[in-house]
Amino acid sequence: MEYFYSYLILASIFVVLGLATNLLVGIAGIFSVSQAAIFGVGAYVTAYCLVNEVMGFLPAVACAAGACLLLNIVITLPALRVAGDYFVVTSFGIQLLATAAFLNWNGATGGASGMAAIPPADLFGYAIEDTGSMLLLCVAAMLLCCLAFYLAMNSPYGRLLRAIREDELAVAASGKPVIPAKAAAAALAGVFGGVAGSLYATFLSFIDPSSFDLNASVLLLSMVVVGGARTLAGSIIGPFVLLALPQVLTMVEIPSTMAAGVRQGLYGALLIAFMLFRPQGLAGQKL
Amino acid sequence: MTVPFLQVSGLNKNFGGLQALRDCSFAIEKGRITCLVGPNGAGKTTVFNAITGFLRPESGSVQFQGRSLDRLPPRAIVRSGIARSFQNLRLYADMTVLENVTSALPGQFGEQPLSAIFRPFRTARAMRQANEQAAGILEHVGLGDQARVWTRNLSYGEQKLLCIARLLATGADLLLLDEPTSGLSGEALDRVMALLRRLQAEGKSQLVVEHNTRVVMAIADEVVFLHGGHVLAQGSPAEITADPALAEIYFGGAL
Amino acid sequence: MLLLQLLVNGLVTGCALGVVAFSFSLVYSTTKIFHVAHAGVYTLAGYLAWSLARAGMPDIVGLIVVPVVCAGFGVVIQRLLYDPLAQRRATHLVVLIASLGLLAIVQNAIAVLWSPDILHFDSTWRVQTIKLVGVTLNYAQIATVVVSVALYGATLFATRHTGIGKRIRAVASNPFLAELTRLHPRRTYAMVMALASALVAVPGMLVGFDLGLQPYTGTTVLLTGTVAVIAGGVGSLTGAFLVSIVVTVLQNLSLLVMPGQWSVGITFLIFVAFMLVRPRGLFAAA
Repeated sequence: MEYFYSYLILASIFVVLGLATNLLVGIAGIFSVSQAAIFGVGAYVTAYCLVNEVMGFLPAVACAAGACLLLNIVITLPALRVAGDYFVVTSFGIQLLATAAFLNWNGATGGASGMAAIPPADLFGYAIEDTGSMLLLCVAAMLLCCLAFYLAMNSPYGRLLRAIREDELAVAASGKPVIPAKAAAAALAGVFGGVAGSLYATFLSFIDPSSFDLNASVLLLSMVVVGGARTLAGSIIGPFVLLALPQVLTMVEIPSTMAAGVRQGLYGALLIAFMLFRPQGLAGQKL
Repeated sequence: MTVPFLQVSGLNKNFGGLQALRDCSFAIEKGRITCLVGPNGAGKTTVFNAITGFLRPESGSVQFQGRSLDRLPPRAIVRSGIARSFQNLRLYADMTVLENVTSALPGQFGEQPLSAIFRPFRTARAMRQANEQAAGILEHVGLGDQARVWTRNLSYGEQKLLCIARLLATGADLLLLDEPTSGLSGEALDRVMALLRRLQAEGKSQLVVEHNTRVVMAIADEVVFLHGGHVLAQGSPAEITADPALAEIYFGGAL
Repeated sequence: MLLLQLLVNGLVTGCALGVVAFSFSLVYSTTKIFHVAHAGVYTLAGYLAWSLARAGMPDIVGLIVVPVVCAGFGVVIQRLLYDPLAQRRATHLVVLIASLGLLAIVQNAIAVLWSPDILHFDSTWRVQTIKLVGVTLNYAQIATVVVSVALYGATLFATRHTGIGKRIRAVASNPFLAELTRLHPRRTYAMVMALASALVAVPGMLVGFDLGLQPYTGTTVLLTGTVAVIAGGVGSLTGAFLVSIVVTVLQNLSLLVMPGQWSVGITFLIFVAFMLVRPRGLFAAA
């Protein structure tokens, strides 16, 4: 049961991340392989605040969300100016830069060995120590984020983003803001990433750079692609399906040293298969 | 002397050695349909781009209702009351006809994520109002029964009408129409021409790039003849067509 | 003398990176595909050479056989992945995601089939060193410089003076026109993929001889290469090659003032800042 709870918790957290990636890549059309970096910053900020007892859980979440909001605007800034493929390089570069920072900024991140003994989350003095209450917290956070995503996408703002993805020039000719709307998408995605990072750090009580590397960004992209781009349902289905995959793999006999490689290779294969045969994913729209 | 509605003065624009606009100056009056004519490559679309802020001329200036538009971004120019259409339409193909129009309505509540998320009911109300307003505009251009259709499923003539509907949604007083009738004939052409005249009667001033002489004769109050990025002549349609030198340039001696 | 040693080390790495960069540039400027999986081919080449060496072949056999195998792999990628996507009119984003997926497959397959840890070649020639005016170089490094520069020269000659090269440049400048004039863009794309994959296999092996093999490092190498491609002006082989050398020399010199693990990060930081100021790259026309 505990094991199943963990799966649900992680899936909820990744739904929040999936929303962020979907918002940027699917809806605003900004390619990004640096969302794991944002996720990582959220997790490290929270862990740092809690381990060093700088502040409580909720203020730490707010800090993480705020930091990720600002950071995501800054790293998306090139996409607002730079033509398509050049931004791809900057996006990869930012992810590698973040990994280098997580690995080498020993004072703040604990370097390659990561940060351990992160205190559990607490809400108004009530510590969330058992898996059951953590599940409730994560599901609640997921539902709130889904609601926010739904409201934002089914509003004039969502319509504006879709229009921008189709034809920026026409949007400008209609007297609508293009760059502020994209920056707002990055900000919202940043908040989602920060919240997810906070939950992740407090749930596992241990984080290290490997959870926030390029592979993690590819995993996020796979979740959106498999679930389906540009829909709420897609962002929810993707994480639940992809995180179930490792559980399925445990039924096959593979040595534990190979498990990570096999899993990540499979994610790659899924990316290709969906791009070739079902670009709209399980429940989305064509990319 | 009164200030002209739109005054374009001394625009110059060079594209890598090609002089697209050369001391281009003309004025248009409020409430009229002015047709911008001239051979291919005369700089008609470049003039549109320069007026609407999509292109920054090297020199010259544009005044609208006595205010300078120089160095303003496209957004600000739309808000000041000038909206333009594109030759290649640039409709949002993957959105509904209604959404194409609502997306151009100015100042909607819920256009920022924060207001959309934290004031959902107010946003929903604003969207309902926007939909009604857009439906009214669609009705007006004759697409009232197509509101829920995917834009890519419209006929070419209907797409042209939708472009005009989108311009109307911006609330602009001066419409810059880039070849609104190109590719149309018969009934579809008549529909667009009738619509432009009706909009004029309702007070919308228009600057129209037009190739079809018959259309120019039928709708224009004034004609600006552009050649090599320079205004060669301006006058009534009758005056312009009566000038054999202009016909020579326009038709390359075919007449 | 440390300064000189770092300078030379940077030059060696830069030559290898230069081949990665200009081979990527060939693919990118011709097919317009941001071929991230190129890093996979680069990595795979080293491991194939390692296995050949393990099977008792001298390293020179690997250097000759592996590029041929990789050329075939490149054609397979084009035919089975990029061509079908192009036929489906896939967007740029879709092709990029697919390429990223392929990279993930190749890298992880290597980690599973060979080893996730670093592997070294057994041969002894590569670690023999010579000393020149205080600078120590091993034979693998010397081979890297000689072979890379030769490949650069040969590729430059081939694209300028051979029929295939002219065809590649024609398709690169206008695929639509090329289609009309029966230059068979699709066949040309496959040829470019074969050529680029064969080229990138060589530094994949040479760097492996010198520093050993790791499954996931190719991504960073390729991205540093793309930085050089963009800064050097897309489509310019010489620009890509030279800027690669400049970048790695600067990275090596930076070791004088800061620890090495930061140099890649700093490179990208400078690149991001640079892109904000000059979004179209260094040598692009205004």
